[in-house]
Amino acid sequence: MTGSRKAAWIIGAIVAFDLLFLALPTLVVLVASFTPGTIITFPPPGFSLRWYGNLLQARDFADALWRSLQVGLVCTALSLPAGTLAALALARFRLRFATGLQIYLLLPFTIPLVVSGVGLMLVFGRLGWLGAVWPVGVAACVINLPFMIWAVAASVNHLDPDLENAAANCGAPPVHSFFTVTLPAVAPGILTGALIMFILAINEFLVSLMLTDARTVTLPVLVYNAIRSIITPDLAAVSVVYVILAVAAIWLLDRLVGLDIFLKSKQG
Amino acid sequence: MAQATTAAAEPMVRLERVSKRFGATLAVETASFDLEPGSFLTILGPSGCGKTTLLRMIAGFIRPDGGSIVLNGRPVAADPPWRRSIGMVFQKLALFPHMTAAQNVAYPLKMRGFPRQGMAERVERYLSIVRLGGLGGRRPHELSGGQQQRVAIARALVFEPDLLLLDEPLAALDRKLREDMQLEFRRIQRELGVTTINVTHDQREALVMSDRILVMEGGRIQQAANPVDTYARPANRFVAGFLGVTNFLPGRLASLAEGRAVVEVEGTRLEGLCADPSLAPGAAVAAAVRAERVRIAGTGETAPDESDVEGEVVEVVFEGDRFVYELRMPSLGGIPLRLFDLDPLAHPRHAPGERVTVAWRHRDLMVFPA
Repeated sequence: MTGSRKAAWIIGAIVAFDLLFLALPTLVVLVASFTPGTIITFPPPGFSLRWYGNLLQARDFADALWRSLQVGLVCTALSLPAGTLAALALARFRLRFATGLQIYLLLPFTIPLVVSGVGLMLVFGRLGWLGAVWPVGVAACVINLPFMIWAVAASVNHLDPDLENAAANCGAPPVHSFFTVTLPAVAPGILTGALIMFILAINEFLVSLMLTDARTVTLPVLVYNAIRSIITPDLAAVSVVYVILAVAAIWLLDRLVGLDIFLKSKQG
Repeated sequence: MAQATTAAAEPMVRLERVSKRFGATLAVETASFDLEPGSFLTILGPSGCGKTTLLRMIAGFIRPDGGSIVLNGRPVAADPPWRRSIGMVFQKLALFPHMTAAQNVAYPLKMRGFPRQGMAERVERYLSIVRLGGLGGRRPHELSGGQQQRVAIARALVFEPDLLLLDEPLAALDRKLREDMQLEFRRIQRELGVTTINVTHDQREALVMSDRILVMEGGRIQQAANPVDTYARPANRFVAGFLGVTNFLPGRLASLAEGRAVVEVEGTRLEGLCADPSLAPGAAVAAAVRAERVRIAGTGETAPDESDVEGEVVEVVFEGDRFVYELRMPSLGGIPLRLFDLDPLAHPRHAPGERVTVAWRHRDLMVFPA
């Protein structure tokens, strides 16, 4: 009895430590962003919203945020059809080169982002795409597509293998059955994947660093540039904007499909 | 089509020499049968016998290599599944997870172009036929296993198909629920009078539910008969072994006249029945006797129409409604023999090691080519 209580106490302590450790950086930044001073310190010497006020007036931050959102939207719009169809094809049809195709699709994921970044920079430069915002979204889609495929594949693998047969048996021709049965049935996975892709895209840094210039700089890159010059508390305020975005995405996911599905598809 | 439906004796389903090969394996070999309107047929066989392939060819998911499938007078072998008037209950049910029970049931009506008017009433009527009245608003994952079965049945029947196919939908259920659902399927099938083909490897299910049983093995139909005949007069050794608990005694045919056979097993002559007149004396045969047809007899207690053989008890198990004895038969070359004592409360229990005399009627010994 005492043994198991002791064990429970130890496990509880470990869990509490883990939770604290996971949340600590975010909490520190959150608290630090309310400093009235001109340098980031923890704990802050007082409370003020001055850096949030600064942020609202800083056009470069607002523009960079807007560009990051654009990158997120382009990336999500591209990965929706690409990832969904790839996952369905890989999981549902007996393709001749399924394994090879899977490895090919995971390729961007296995090589360092710096390498991908250089490659994309060369290709985009050749195509004359550099200097625009949307190619950054394309790049984010290319390097993160496996996440989309995994999310959808996890949903597809939960499906009854006879689902399309059942639709056909009910009288639905293949195209009908795809839109009325297959797609809605994997919708939780598609939605999960889309939100992951969006979040990853607006957070994407390394590849964006190589693909952007002063006119197209995205928020993470702008934050990095700012750190290199001088660390002011408005960076902490920017970080809080990111935290809010992430929390909003998770809230949306929970409302739409439920977090249990989100967590399950991440395992898949 | 019009002329075909006029004749009353026309079968609802007719398969003629339907075959399917997957690579080197012949999954179904020239399967032919007729099925009368309103009857319940079970295709019974071990896994890999071709029964599921045959069912999927009828449903239209697999295209046969040869032969014809006629449904309600219309050849359908070239039709895609969505143009066949066939409802199907799938092995894992394949309910649409994003739809409510009622939407699942309404789906075939929508896809098959039924008028919107009266659709809701029809869905509700079928939900109440399967005793799910009031649960139409639930999603499949909010329903129990048995309730999900019922949704699948309603979805398969709501458009009043010519034929209902059951692809082992009961296999995954626990025993009590499975037995309840067997009777439930039968009730609904009789109530609606829908022609049904069921596929299973469960002999009990086949015996309980069917008007007719088709036993398959190795891609071939071994026997097509009603349940009683299938059990009482198996067509061959495979069918005899697949249904019931059957003891096989390997031996040679000593004589055969008018269906009465004498078999010699390790020097012991046994009388039995043989339906295969082509067997010549000396042929290797398997004599078969079912466990419940063998009894333990006191010495000198056997009747003139019985065979009696000495045996030694190896194991005895009490199962409530029966003793199950495992015996060793020294005079039959030491082969094992299993028998059921179906009145365990009235009979003494024979202990392992005890020597007993067992007896069975001559007509209970079935002789097949080995």
